[in-house]
Amino acid sequence: MSVPAETQTSPHEVRRLDTDKRWVLSLVAILVAELLFFNFGVSTFWGGGWGSSVSMLGDSETFLFTSVIALGVMFVIFAGDIDLSVGAMSGFAGVMMAEFHIGGMNIWVAVVISLLIAALIGLIQGLIITYFKLESLLVTLAGWFILQSAAVAWEGPAPPYNLPKHFESLLGTGTIGGTVPNQLVIFAILALLAMLIVHRTRFGRRLVLVGYNRDAAGYAGVRVSVTRIRAFMLSATFAAFAGLCIAATYGTARDDLGPTLLLPAITAVVLGGVDIFGGAGLVAGVVVASFILGWLTPGLLQDGVGDTVTNMSIGVLLLVSLTVKGITDRRQGGSFRERLRGRFDTAAPTAPPTAPDTP
Amino acid sequence: MTADSPPIGRAAVAPATSATRSSPLGRLVRRRELLLVVLTLVVFVVTDAVNSGFGQGGYISFMLADAMPLAILAVGQTIVCLVRGIDLSVATVLGVAAVATGFLAQDYGSSVWLMLPLALALGIGLGLINGLFVVFARIPPIIVTLGTLIVYLGIQQLICNTRTVVTVPTSYATFGNGNLVGDIPYMLVPGVVVTVIVAFALWRTTWGRALYAVGANAEAAFRAGIRVNWVLISAYTVCGMLAGLGGLAWLVHYDSADYTTGFATNINLYSIAAVLIGGTTLTGGKGGVVGSFIAALFLEVTIQAVVLLGIPEAWESAAVGILLLAAILVNRYQASGHSLFQALAGHLRGRPQLEHGSGPAQ
Repeated sequence: MSVPAETQTSPHEVRRLDTDKRWVLSLVAILVAELLFFNFGVSTFWGGGWGSSVSMLGDSETFLFTSVIALGVMFVIFAGDIDLSVGAMSGFAGVMMAEFHIGGMNIWVAVVISLLIAALIGLIQGLIITYFKLESLLVTLAGWFILQSAAVAWEGPAPPYNLPKHFESLLGTGTIGGTVPNQLVIFAILALLAMLIVHRTRFGRRLVLVGYNRDAAGYAGVRVSVTRIRAFMLSATFAAFAGLCIAATYGTARDDLGPTLLLPAITAVVLGGVDIFGGAGLVAGVVVASFILGWLTPGLLQDGVGDTVTNMSIGVLLLVSLTVKGITDRRQGGSFRERLRGRFDTAAPTAPPTAPDTP
Repeated sequence: MTADSPPIGRAAVAPATSATRSSPLGRLVRRRELLLVVLTLVVFVVTDAVNSGFGQGGYISFMLADAMPLAILAVGQTIVCLVRGIDLSVATVLGVAAVATGFLAQDYGSSVWLMLPLALALGIGLGLINGLFVVFARIPPIIVTLGTLIVYLGIQQLICNTRTVVTVPTSYATFGNGNLVGDIPYMLVPGVVVTVIVAFALWRTTWGRALYAVGANAEAAFRAGIRVNWVLISAYTVCGMLAGLGGLAWLVHYDSADYTTGFATNINLYSIAAVLIGGTTLTGGKGGVVGSFIAALFLEVTIQAVVLLGIPEAWESAAVGILLLAAILVNRYQASGHSLFQALAGHLRGRPQLEHGSGPAQ
């Protein structure tokens, strides 16, 4: 019985997997091309080579916390929701941890308690969204406003600073052997963890199923609300952890980075091939995409391109790559030329573009 | 869709269906525009009782003028939300329009009337780009406008190029902060004119009804012969145009603009909050612009009240967040057909009255 069941995967499903994997491969190609371009075009990009702290590996400290946030939001997007509160959450968590520490708490106890409180806030947001059946976009937007206010009010006029050196070193600026930043190792562990959670655990498969078809998941016995709430808790915890890394890197809690963290994080998830409506994508794509976006900024800056064009290029990359992805998506059927023509065919009924999480 | 969304401009005529079985309070909650007016007055009177400076002429005039950029943006945002879209890029469209017109005003002293078509044209162009991506690239609107938010911010920075707008002709300041008559500032004129025109267009023109039809059910609208793609593109274009107008309004009100104008203040998110508080939903086909306009005024009064009541300024955005949460809860239960109080009572007894994923029957 089991043998035919395995071989009977529908052609549709095989193509779906292929599409996702193809997208990740293209991302890897883009990343390699980007690194080669900066390698040959920008003499300072590698700094003193692999062993130097000003190399591209060192540059990764400027974006790895954004990548961590992207990993967290990814869970929520897999389930077909969205979490806009992550940027404010990371700021809030940093302030919370620093204030606990200043209040006399051991720094590691403060870290653990901050992460637990962040998970609790994620739980509350998830409960509000699932119990009252509200749009996650709006509830987390409100959450953003409230957390932002709470962080600014809590820290008062002066941001807390003077965190212990060993904390700043471990989560922030420290390196292993002077070469590999600690943050890179932490991110690698978290990325591996995320891959295992999404692709190798029962919760992960349920998560993707909930995003793919919420009603079907419900009929199949998946506790849809519980799965979605867990995704929000994961998202909040990852964002809070990123906030702790930011506090460690800058030596002070930052409450002002909200939108500047959120937008690149969502960009990385979407560029990484995760369907914004949920239910499709690979974690590896998000990891690769976050490196593409992360290294683009320091690379272009050192290439002499202005700050402005550098920022714009991220937006252009997002729009162009998604347009190309849509046109080349074989899941829609037909040949490439037919798909291209279908875009401009006024006779074809347009699928209503919807905001995420509309029933 | 038609039953519980006589869209706009009918605050005085409560729909008969809801009037038959609701309490007066329930009817008030149903007429969102009326509810917001009452809430605004309550906040105003309470704050005035505590801090007498609030009710004085200068402050009222200031608040009316101060709310207009947000109100104009919210009107545009409403149009996009009616077709199930969302436009995050309005903040930087506003910024681009503000700095482009600002530098012309600063360098050449051009008059406001010359700047008006320029701001509108800039907004139309940028909004059109959004619409084309949404329709032809078939990327979800939230992602399109997230991308263009970043791109337009770059355009804004390119225009600025380390300079800022600091001095504009005095006629701008007069228009942005002066009073037409009594406590009515000049700024209120563009806001009200825009709201009335758009409200009329939504209520009485083919284009407006097509927006509601596409938002409620795009497939059905297509089968009924509505050119869905054209309606979608026009919605984003008009939204962009109003964001451009909002940029000019920002410029004349604050008399300054720089490379973070709009983006730094999260005015795009506030405009979405105003739309939702005004009774329009993100699921499309329901709502109107009068509610959004009044909601923008309500937000302004609330924010100023937070400051004047001695609450630290940091809590200002939390106030907006809480109002937004309350608004979407109310929207949710109005859509379900139950009165809010019935629904809440059901929840408290542990029996939610809504089936999974149920929305209004369409």
